[in-house]
Amino acid sequence: MGLRDVLFGKKKLAGPAAERLFALTTASVTLDTECGLKTAGAGAICFKPLSAGEFVRAQSDLQQLLESVAAESGSKLEQRDDSFGYSWIVVRDPDLEDQVTSLHAVAQGLEEQGFGEQLLAAAFRFDGGKHPVYLVYGYKRGAFWPFVPTGDGQNRDNAEELELKAKLERELPIEQDLSRWFGLFDAPL
Amino acid sequence: MKRKAYGRDSGLTLRMLATGGLLGLLYVVFGVVLFQALNFGLVPMLVIVIGLAFFQYYTSDKLALKASGAKVVERDQAPELHAMIERLCAMADLPKPRVAVIDTDVPNAFATGRSPKHAAVAVTTGLWQRLEPREVEGVLAHELSHIANRDVLVMTVASFFAMLAGLLTRFGLYAGMFGGGGNRDNNNNNVPVWLVVLAVSVVTYVLSWILIQMISRYREFAADRGSALITGAPEQLMSALQKISSEMFRIPQRDLREVEAMNAFFIIPASVKRTTSELFMSHPPLEKRLAALSEIAREMGRPVA
Repeated sequence: MGLRDVLFGKKKLAGPAAERLFALTTASVTLDTECGLKTAGAGAICFKPLSAGEFVRAQSDLQQLLESVAAESGSKLEQRDDSFGYSWIVVRDPDLEDQVTSLHAVAQGLEEQGFGEQLLAAAFRFDGGKHPVYLVYGYKRGAFWPFVPTGDGQNRDNAEELELKAKLERELPIEQDLSRWFGLFDAPL
Repeated sequence: MKRKAYGRDSGLTLRMLATGGLLGLLYVVFGVVLFQALNFGLVPMLVIVIGLAFFQYYTSDKLALKASGAKVVERDQAPELHAMIERLCAMADLPKPRVAVIDTDVPNAFATGRSPKHAAVAVTTGLWQRLEPREVEGVLAHELSHIANRDVLVMTVASFFAMLAGLLTRFGLYAGMFGGGGNRDNNNNNVPVWLVVLAVSVVTYVLSWILIQMISRYREFAADRGSALITGAPEQLMSALQKISSEMFRIPQRDLREVEAMNAFFIIPASVKRTTSELFMSHPPLEKRLAALSEIAREMGRPVA
């Protein structure tokens, strides 16, 4: 944010930093060999839908977008809504790289439709540890953070999360401010 | 016999006195210059100053609880917390303070109130959930020592003139902006009065801020000592301090969506509101506190590694 924006009070909502999402594909080897984690075949993007007026048009556009991405990539896409009032696009594909590519295409499409500022996060699920591991990508921050819910209320396995941070730091842009590592409990993937 | 302070540390007492003396001297100089420069009449100035001081003193507990979003809880809402505080108060010979809870994941606690009779202790839900009961006890004993040592009174007095200097800095700026302070007839030298007031206020503000930080750190050491003596086990507070300042406890337990939704209603984004960890700025560094505590442990014949 430049000085002029400060002076005139024009701070905008942070736009999405989508490009760094691809770092995940390079980290997949480390995830497999060092952490023993394999993709669970699902990734998802979470965004805040627009208000009622725009909704009908956006909904049909969204449907078209999902169909075109699915046709191009061969991934399965579905839309879910959660109790927080957010919408999710879940991508199911056995290959992590395809998940990332499809999700990126969806994010781009949403951005073109004017949803860019509403993009909240992407999440990828991995199995192989004691608990399911999620790597969350914050669009506002352009960084990843690990999220390991223990399934017991809103508890998380912090030790495991910090270990993942240490192991992945060289390959993934990891959010350094730990107080921003917010969870995504009951994510639909 | 009523104990006034918990344990003795003559070096600490001396440093506290020296810093307090310096602060007092600074304020006297500040007052004299102000009086000379402003030609303000001593009586109205004193009335305003004392009035403000009393207002701050009497409302401190309510203000602190309000500002932190703490809710006073009764015995049936938090029976274990109440029981623990009662036990510690019995040990420390203190009346039981009001008990408040702040709903946040970050483990922290604070004490407030102008006197032991009008005191309140607030703990965060994170402290209660993430620390062992014995560690919580160490932290609560630390806060109760703040009450026993009357730290709110001390810090109110210490920071009052700093606040006044801050106000006058702003006032001086306005006076300068809107045409020269209104004191035209006795301007026999070239320096305008508002500029003198501004300069003196700025200097006072900066110096007193540094001294206040020092006093605050000394009071923390004193309260750590108090905690060790009340619980008889400094290692409880030591492990609590290590846990509180550990990185792990900065990882939130909240959901991203919940936080984003709240951002819409608060002026300050939730992610920027790291209120509690910033409180530690006026605290001494962790290593020094741990070193001081293990020194106390040795004195008490409970050496800890």
